[in-house]
Amino acid sequence: MGLQLCSVEKTYEMNSVGVRALRGVSFDIDQNEYVAIMGPSGSGKSTLMNIIGCLDVPTSGTYVLDGADVSALGEDELAEIRNEKIGFVFQTFNLLARSDVFHNVELPLIYAGLRPARRRKLAEEAIARVGLADRMRHRPNELSGGQRQRVAIARALVNQPSILLADEPTGNLDSATGAEIMEVFDALHAEGNTILLVTHEDNVASHAHREIRLLDGLIASDSFQSEAA
Amino acid sequence: MSKIHGSVEALRIALAALRANKARGVLTTLGIIIGIVAVVTTMTAANGLANSFRESVSVLGTDVIYVSRMPWIFQGNFFQFRNRPNLDLKDSVKLARQLGSEAVVNPTDDTRRPVKYMSEVIENATVIGTTDKHMMVSSAVPEYGRFLTAYDVKFKRHVCVLGTTMREQLFGDVDPINKKIKVGRSAFRVIGVMEKQGSAGFFGGPDFDSQIFIPVSTFVKEFGGRNRSFAFAIKAPPGADVADFEYEVVGEMRKVRKLKPNEDDNFAINKMDSLLEAFNNVMGVVLMIGMAVTGISLFVGGVGVMNIMFVSVTERTHEIGIRKAIGAKRRAILQQFLLESSMICLVGGAIGVALSFGVAAAINRLLMPASVSLPIVIIALTVSVAVGVISGFIPAWRASRLNPIDALHYE
Repeated sequence: MGLQLCSVEKTYEMNSVGVRALRGVSFDIDQNEYVAIMGPSGSGKSTLMNIIGCLDVPTSGTYVLDGADVSALGEDELAEIRNEKIGFVFQTFNLLARSDVFHNVELPLIYAGLRPARRRKLAEEAIARVGLADRMRHRPNELSGGQRQRVAIARALVNQPSILLADEPTGNLDSATGAEIMEVFDALHAEGNTILLVTHEDNVASHAHREIRLLDGLIASDSFQSEAA
Repeated sequence: MSKIHGSVEALRIALAALRANKARGVLTTLGIIIGIVAVVTTMTAANGLANSFRESVSVLGTDVIYVSRMPWIFQGNFFQFRNRPNLDLKDSVKLARQLGSEAVVNPTDDTRRPVKYMSEVIENATVIGTTDKHMMVSSAVPEYGRFLTAYDVKFKRHVCVLGTTMREQLFGDVDPINKKIKVGRSAFRVIGVMEKQGSAGFFGGPDFDSQIFIPVSTFVKEFGGRNRSFAFAIKAPPGADVADFEYEVVGEMRKVRKLKPNEDDNFAINKMDSLLEAFNNVMGVVLMIGMAVTGISLFVGGVGVMNIMFVSVTERTHEIGIRKAIGAKRRAILQQFLLESSMICLVGGAIGVALSFGVAAAINRLLMPASVSLPIVIIALTVSVAVGVISGFIPAWRASRLNPIDALHYE
């Protein structure tokens, strides 16, 4: 299982000029790996993250997720995969401002078509997991940045995805709060989750056990780090 | 299962979105409200008109054929009818004899005369000369006293039966039976008062309650018979087919008129059906014009809703991105926005219907009978939801097609 990318390329049309964001990227990520994808802006890491997150498909090459080729699926099929297999955590949290914590976390389960009783149980478990059981009925604007990111993590976890995909998860947080959030990821990894961090901060990347560096749409380095890093 | 939950979720979102933008929602629904008030009012008015028309003509009976000189409703040249000979009382006797004793033939005519009791005077009262057979060709019955009898007709007695409005106007609380009133220049004794019939008076139809009935023989003696053309109300024998009977009446009338086979009829057969048909035609046109005007106002309302839905989609592009990222399919987004626009219109429609009850009440007081019926309410609400779905479709479609990455990065 896990995911396999093979010669993935992505070219965007911009003002009728093709921009090659990814120029042939190949790597495998196994279950329960803890990987950081790094690179300067323009290196293609956002594009890579969109493809891994099934928000976009490669122009060429294949992407196999949990044994299924997802590189040529249609929009609704990708939506289904995102719902079942991907848990997103964004830099800007991306919570629904008008909905409370419970509803935000419940949302993926609604789109998965679960019954209300089951949704309630799973959502409450996920919220408890990130330590916000007492904030269930609060709205995002009543929470601190760290708490909001915890809500986002709970939402990402709630459908028990194959990968947690975190895009600069500490980018909008102060360093102390950021460290707390990274502890949450560490703990989730210890519980058996596969985690992919996209970041340009070394101290964030240092939590991961493997570091893939991108440069100009190609892999510049792919290295395993010592546990104690 | 997932579809149902999706709908519940979409409904929740729609209501939340409406609550979040109250002022905007109210302004948007205003167009729909006006449109729905127009729809309901038009249909209610048309209904009221048709009902009161049918009510008043039903007094005359749909199984009764009227033979008269002129058709009630005609197209073309009036002068082709003008030179037709009159129908007189002798014709009615002949026709009755030829049709046999089972058919009823009742000759009538009317005139306008002043009617007076003590100091109460009604100018231009409708005085109808008729016979005892009136009771058989009409559903009208006396409320108290009695109607005219064959005896009254035979001896040209000066007796009369009053419509209920006539009685009120002339007598107030006084018991009119056996009181003398003046009709034209002669005195008549009141022998009965008719039951209330209802009126079609508001659009020029006869008001059956302000009529006064006298024997047709007395009518001729008092007001002259030479230049009058009577109308014959004819009721088929019990069990006879009305269409067949109509042929028979035409045939017998031709004999009475001594027409040769190549001559056209110089009389007219009139039926309630043809009156109803003509009325329905007119109503159809009126209704169509009403609906066209109404349709325009609903269209304008729908454009307003569409506009606001475009704004709503744009405002919530980021939200759409989030929803898509966590697994909302296109259909779920489409459904969400369609439901929102339908809810806006349904709320507008409900307010419109509520207001229409007031408008109908006002029409009822000022113009004519009108009341909002359940089918009209259902139609109005269905129409408002349909407007919501139609006008929300393009914005919702656009929302459902948004690229998740672009939507997610939209600020």
